[in-house]
Amino acid sequence: MQKEITFTLNGKVQHSTVNNNRRLVDFIRDDLKLTGTKEGCSVGECGACTVIVDKSAVCSCLLFAVQIDGLELVTVEGLEEAGGLSMLQQKFIEHGAVQCGFCTPGMLMSSYALLLKNPNPSVDDVKTALAGNLCRCTGYKQIISAVLDTK
Amino acid sequence: MIPNIEYFTPKTIAEALQLLSKQENVKIIAGGTDVITGFHQESSRFTKTGALIDINRIPELHQISETTGSVWIGAGCTFTQVVNSPVVQKEFPLLVQASSGVGSLQIRNRATIGGNFVNNAPQSADNSRTMPLQEFLIRPYCTQLAFNEIVTNITLAKLPGSYHGSYYKLGRRRGVAISRITVAALLNVVDDAIADIRFASGAATPIGMRFPEIEALAMNQKVSDDLLRKLAIQTGELVLERTGLRWSTAYKLPVLQQLCYQELFNAVYGKE
Ligand SMILES: Cc1cc2nc3c(=O)[nH]c(=O)nc-3n(C[C@H](O)[C@H](O)[C@H](O)COP(=O)(O)OP(=O)(O)OC[C@H]3O[C@@H](n4cnc5c(N)ncnc54)[C@H](O)[C@@H]3O)c2cc1C
Ligand code: FES
Ligand code: FES
Repeated sequence: MQKEITFTLNGKVQHSTVNNNRRLVDFIRDDLKLTGTKEGCSVGECGACTVIVDKSAVCSCLLFAVQIDGLELVTVEGLEEAGGLSMLQQKFIEHGAVQCGFCTPGMLMSSYALLLKNPNPSVDDVKTALAGNLCRCTGYKQIISAVLDTK
Repeated sequence: MIPNIEYFTPKTIAEALQLLSKQENVKIIAGGTDVITGFHQESSRFTKTGALIDINRIPELHQISETTGSVWIGAGCTFTQVVNSPVVQKEFPLLVQASSGVGSLQIRNRATIGGNFVNNAPQSADNSRTMPLQEFLIRPYCTQLAFNEIVTNITLAKLPGSYHGSYYKLGRRRGVAISRITVAALLNVVDDAIADIRFASGAATPIGMRFPEIEALAMNQKVSDDLLRKLAIQTGELVLERTGLRWSTAYKLPVLQQLCYQELFNAVYGKE
């Protein structure tokens, strides 16, 4: 059983046919071939699969693809600016916020959603926004500094 | 594997109810934080599901409104909506505090208050019945909801400003942890005596519940440190009676009693 959906993918209108039981994360990685988005825990706990739907950070392992019909989807590939890295991505590199990199796309999307709503966040705002993103490598400090340094 | 399912997106409550009564093995999906993880983990609560009814496109379920005596929260409101609502912030700061502790921001952006109650982990619209939450919750993962019913809203009666409350969630760690013990206390203290008390726990008990026995003990008593201690100790004993002795009791009981004391103290002295 399938459905036709129309949504905005990283700023461009996209039509797709998806199975009703396809999770958003599988649709993004396997159908759209946008493999920046990662799958870690599959149950909403690690945040590796975070994408932005209608300006809010959500776990793509906890949505069906059919649910984004008519909505706006931004994945980590959508952060690209003028063919290069965005300021946020550059700051992640500068601050050593990327080690193995598995958590990075999710971290970037949660940070990006925060900065959309609050361009001048406090340390606590950043911690709240990133509480659902786990990182086994960095110890988080570098990530928080990178976000605070992105204005 | 998630079974291949039918997927409906009704625009009105009437349409959703019709789908619910017509289809077999249908399930409502709101935020999907329980439904999709349940599917993915092949939980027995979901394996037979043949169709999902997505209630996210029903505008009525996403509204928060206010009348003179109460606040009406649509069952489809996410915890983020509840946390950001000026009305809820003003009238029910404890609900804001509890809601902002649910999961992570990504979870709160999707998970709904209606889904939370139904998961049981209050009110419905067949011929439209209304009931207190206490009666709605039966046992873990089980509520009064009939298969053909939808929770449309949660109505909360406003309280006078003299009430003070306190809430605490204890998990294994601070962020994104399933709660082990939650305690909430709401008190109205008049002339140093307890004029009204609502005292409840979640997680420590099999389902969320108030403690009428403890509330009765507290009513009209003068506030003192001894009283709060006595109430906290007896609450612990009551929970032990209900849950039975477990391997974790030696750890949990003193923690629960201390938390009860702390939350009663905070509520009496107006500390948030
Ligand atoms: C990582 C993670 C962390 C979590 N942390 C917490 C936490 O800290 N505290 C907590 O309490 N919970 C937590 N949860 C559990 C879950 O998020 C909540 O129970 C949530 O509120 C469920 O709402 P939902 O809209 O996502 O429900 P759904 O998954 O959409 O539905 C849940 C159930 O309710 C039914 N349902 C939903 N809406 C209605 C309605 N309006 N009428 C009738 N039936 C309905 C569905 O059919 C289904 O059976 C967590 C979950 C995850 C994945
Ligand atoms: S894979 Fe979605 S939160 Fe972990
Ligand atoms: S950089 Fe390895 S998990 Fe975060």
